[in-house]
Formats: sequence, C-alpha cells, structure tokens
Amino acid sequence: MNLKRSLRFASDLRELERIQSVIKELEKEADWPPDLVYQVNLVLEELVVNVINYGYGGDPNHEIEIDLNWEADKLTVEIVDDAPAFNPLKDNPEPDLTSKLENRPIGGLGIYLVHHLMDEIKYRREQGRNHLTLIKRREK
Amino acid sequence: MDIDVERKNETLIAKVTGRVDSANAREFEQALSGAIGDDSKVILDLGALSYISSSGLRVLLLVAKALRNKGAEFALCSLSDPIREVFEISGFDKIIPIYGSLMEVMED
Repeated sequence: MNLKRSLRFASDLRELERIQSVIKELEKEADWPPDLVYQVNLVLEELVVNVINYGYGGDPNHEIEIDLNWEADKLTVEIVDDAPAFNPLKDNPEPDLTSKLENRPIGGLGIYLVHHLMDEIKYRREQGRNHLTLIKRREK
Repeated sequence: MDIDVERKNETLIAKVTGRVDSANAREFEQALSGAIGDDSKVILDLGALSYISSSGLRVLLLVAKALRNKGAEFALCSLSDPIREVFEISGFDKIIPIYGSLMEVMED
C-alpha cells in the first residue's frame, strides 16, 4: 500500500491539531502501530514548533509544508519552510543527559528526540527554503 | 489533558490523562504546581497519558527539581512503552525513579 498526504499550513501553533488529524487518518487507513503514531506525532511537533518559534520568531504569517509518503518498507516525511537556514543535523547542540537532577538544564531535547526516533535525516537548503527529509523504516 | 489528584498518607498521587504537548504544556505546569502542596512524596501515574512531547518533559523536569529542592520524593509510574522509550532517550530514567505500576511505587 502506498499512501500520500500533503499539508500546507500557517506557522501557527494552533495548526498542530491539523497535523494530528492527518496522522490519525493515516493510522486508520494504513493500520499504523501505536508506537509509530506516537513517534511521528512527536517528531512533527518538535520540528514544526522549532520552525515556528525559532525560524519565524513566532510570526504566524508564513507557510510550512509537510509531505508524508507511506510505502511498503518505509515512511518518508518532508518538511519545507522558508525560515533562515537551519540544519538540525549540524546547528543543534547536544543536550546534557548525564548531569544530576540538580544541574540538568531545562529544555533542548526536541531535536535530539527526532534524531533518535528516526532512521535517517537529510537536510538541504534550496531556493531559500529548508528541506528536511526524515525516514522511518517499517519494522519487519 | 486532565489531572486527578488523591492523597494517601503523606503521598500525593496525580493521575494524568490525555495529551501533553506544546499547546497545553503551560496549563499542565500550572495544574501540577497548583496540586502539589507540602507533600513529602509525589507520584505521577502516567498510565492514561497518551502523548507527551519535549514541552511536557520540560515541565516534569521543572517539577522534579522543585521537589528535590524541597526535599520531597518524586516518582513516575505506568508509562506506556513508546513514552518510556522517550524518557530513556532523554535520560530522564536516570534522574527520576520510574516504576512499572502504582502498586510497585506504593510498596517501595
């Protein structure tokens, strides 16, 4: 089964609900396991929130595109935005995961979670836009 | 997201139901800090938590730090497998005790 979904939405946190409802559709149509549903929701929230808050500085008047492509062996997600160049593979500091509770810094986990939950991440800057491609392979 | 609170002996048990995401993390933080009083032990039962993102993890870390400063104990229980995985990736399992069930925490 090959299923595709494309979304274009404003750079507004209230749009996260639309992403959730598209994932809900895919969950039903493609019979996604609960782990995958959670991971895809999480990864999209972390990345979209990052683009809105840091890329656009909270300005809701931009557009973000998401393409989801569910194939026999993998899910491919592409996120496109026209915010300043941001390569989450290079420009994101590693969080501190070892300090004691008292010294553990608050925050900085979002992009780190994306790295660990996806199998492959590719970034390219093309015609003034960030293209982030994420691949999650299906478990056999 | 809903939080149901009960107290047994000196322990506050807060059961979190639903989603915690960027949209309601602030509300989650206010609800938790409002619910926690001078309790010497606080347990969050996450068995009915369906979703949490890094914005919710941030709140749990704030609560854990605040309780540590007050000398109170803090524990989590009943995490679903995908949520537990996210806590492990984040290294939270090393700084906040996580139990399989509410019964296990109460007996500990």
